[in-house]
Amino acid sequence: MDPATARPAVVIDNGTGYTKMGFAGNVEPCFIVPTVVAVNESFVNQPRPRSTKGGNWLAQHSAGVMADLDFCIGEEALARSKSSTTYNLSYPIKHGQVENWDAMERFWQQCIFNYLRCDPEDHYFLLTESPLTAPESREYTGEIMFETFNVPGLYIAVQPVLALAAGYTTSKCEMTGVVVDVGDGATHVVPVADGYVIGSSIKSIPISGKDVTRFIQQLMRERGEHVPPEDSFEVARKVKEMYCYTCSDIVKEFNKHDKEPAKYIKQWRGTKPKTGAPYSCDVGYERFLGPEVFFNPEIYSSDFTTPLPDVIDKCIQSAPIDTRRALYKNVVLSGGSTMFKDFHRRLQRDIKKIVDARVLASDARLGGQQKAQPVEVNVVSHPIQRYAVWFGGSVLASTPEFFTACHTKAEYEECGASICRTNPVFKGMY
Amino acid sequence: MILLQCPCRYLLQVLTTRVQNLEKGVELDCQWVEFDDVRYHIQATVKNPNILLLSLSLPTPPPETVFSGGLPQGAIEAIKAAYGVVLQILDPPRDGFNLTLKLNLSKLPPDEEHKQALLVKIASIREVVLGAPLRAVLRQLVSRGVKSNLNKLLSLVHRPDESFFVFPQVDKATVIFPMRFKDSIDTVLATSFLQEFVEARKTAGLGNAPPCLWSSSPPQELKGAPEKALSANAGFVSFVIFPRHVDGRKLDKTVWSLSTFHAYVSYHVKCSEGFMHTRMRRRVESLIEALDRAKPDLEKDDQPAQNRSFKRLSLKDGRGSFNSR
Repeated sequence: MDPATARPAVVIDNGTGYTKMGFAGNVEPCFIVPTVVAVNESFVNQPRPRSTKGGNWLAQHSAGVMADLDFCIGEEALARSKSSTTYNLSYPIKHGQVENWDAMERFWQQCIFNYLRCDPEDHYFLLTESPLTAPESREYTGEIMFETFNVPGLYIAVQPVLALAAGYTTSKCEMTGVVVDVGDGATHVVPVADGYVIGSSIKSIPISGKDVTRFIQQLMRERGEHVPPEDSFEVARKVKEMYCYTCSDIVKEFNKHDKEPAKYIKQWRGTKPKTGAPYSCDVGYERFLGPEVFFNPEIYSSDFTTPLPDVIDKCIQSAPIDTRRALYKNVVLSGGSTMFKDFHRRLQRDIKKIVDARVLASDARLGGQQKAQPVEVNVVSHPIQRYAVWFGGSVLASTPEFFTACHTKAEYEECGASICRTNPVFKGMY
Repeated sequence: MILLQCPCRYLLQVLTTRVQNLEKGVELDCQWVEFDDVRYHIQATVKNPNILLLSLSLPTPPPETVFSGGLPQGAIEAIKAAYGVVLQILDPPRDGFNLTLKLNLSKLPPDEEHKQALLVKIASIREVVLGAPLRAVLRQLVSRGVKSNLNKLLSLVHRPDESFFVFPQVDKATVIFPMRFKDSIDTVLATSFLQEFVEARKTAGLGNAPPCLWSSSPPQELKGAPEKALSANAGFVSFVIFPRHVDGRKLDKTVWSLSTFHAYVSYHVKCSEGFMHTRMRRRVESLIEALDRAKPDLEKDDQPAQNRSFKRLSLKDGRGSFNSR
């Protein structure tokens, strides 16, 4: 038997904003770091030395080689780029797709050797991709993993499918459902039936976590809060993460805030980055208006005005008819921007409203001869939502079937990178 | 990153967050694997938030290496000397592990600086345990007392079923690594990497570094070693360690660098493969550019006609012209 199958598989979920990495079988990823690489590029664009006079050339050459190793990722990269100008930040993933493969390869290298500190030859790997990724990019991933890192086996899973698997218990193995994935850079509504993504029904929304932050920033600026401009985005992000919640009705919520400001208005304290002087500002309506952009997008932008519940309903209506009831029954949230308090309650209520209205209309049309069975709507939320995709990967990669579903190094050498185009849905998934 | 860091990053993170949020005392149970098949398992319960159980499993030793009680020789003494009252060795260890330690966080020193230093030391447990025999040998070099085991070949485990050798003498110790790699490409890269490595040692400015040799056949010192240990597809590297390399604080660093030498080479082999790919990608891009430039002008000539018909259909252009109006 391959000794690598006796060790836990490595699970890495590369998101636009954050990368979650760890070992299968654990409940938490070992590290959650920003997906960013700081590269020292001062040597790349230098002209080649004309003179090949020994010492000087050698020194320059080895300095160039050292610069290859001179990069870092995650928080370290952000800190390094702030303190010095020789480093350039590059974000390898944009809108859920890998854009810069050089940076991506370096990022993986540091993940494996510096963070997880494992030998890639000893472990099977589970990586993730967005449902809209092209097969070519999967091939590329496979090439890097097998050629550079010599991994014994690789499986590339689709993120929403893993988010579904996160709700996996011994009693319930549901692999049908709609995954509402609201990340930092992209929002997708993805229907999955028996572990297969229904590709034609995927809906995307141009509103994501970053937009909520921007909206809060805008609200605070318009009210004239004294936040230093260079810090305002960061402050808005922290306010979003700490104070925001979902309300059931905006008008009532406004009234509540006006009646009891002491109870609802929070204070934010910080220090100015330049002078170090402390300042404080109020956090008011933006606490519930921030998450409201998902339910009433017209308050944020005039380009896109369909509320999230409508999009989910449309998505399910476009799925095959025999899956619809099951899809309504299992709407799963994933991604950091679904963590607002009571987000799932509001979503469930709004979807239920749409569905009930439709059932009533059809009953009226049929004239009361036939009653439709009521449709069950269920929005599931778990405490691990922030890294639900990683957790699902960890669960799946710890089943014995995982190792049989992987593409192995031998297969790769026999057939080439094209084997990575498809990844079988394996038995553990449903 | 050029050298592998000594403390385990994740273990350090777990310990630090735990110490900072002691009163929260969440449940903790996770395991992970490091290079060279060193496994960790850490466990804590809500009932006793101050107690952490840390288990460690080491690579299985080859027949020529001596383990006493499932641990390298001198490991238990080394643990006791390094950690004192904070750690307690549990016997027998957890199933499937070589060593289980009970860590009592309430006994950490109150002073922040010492506390952090001790946490880093705990995160370096691997070096303390696996490096114990090597440390004992190297310490003899600087001590004035009676020296034992002179001129006797010692084998120490560093990878599953693989060991490296130490040949202690009165004024120096020779450390020999048989280098083995699974993949054929890795073997080739590692061989040339090691040859460069030896070359680099000869440059000026590195005069004080340990002398280093590479050969494709086993060196003389390995005469008594078993047959199986003498086959290495990437040759043999030997370092000669003098007392000046191990005095004072240098000892810890030397022990760590030596006991993870294989992992270091393998990391750099992977890095160079990565950088070759980067260069190749860049080259392909520039070649494609050159190809595009070399395309005959014929296509260009009939492009305008095509463009016009396409432009009328394209949505973006329509909007653009609308705006300009």
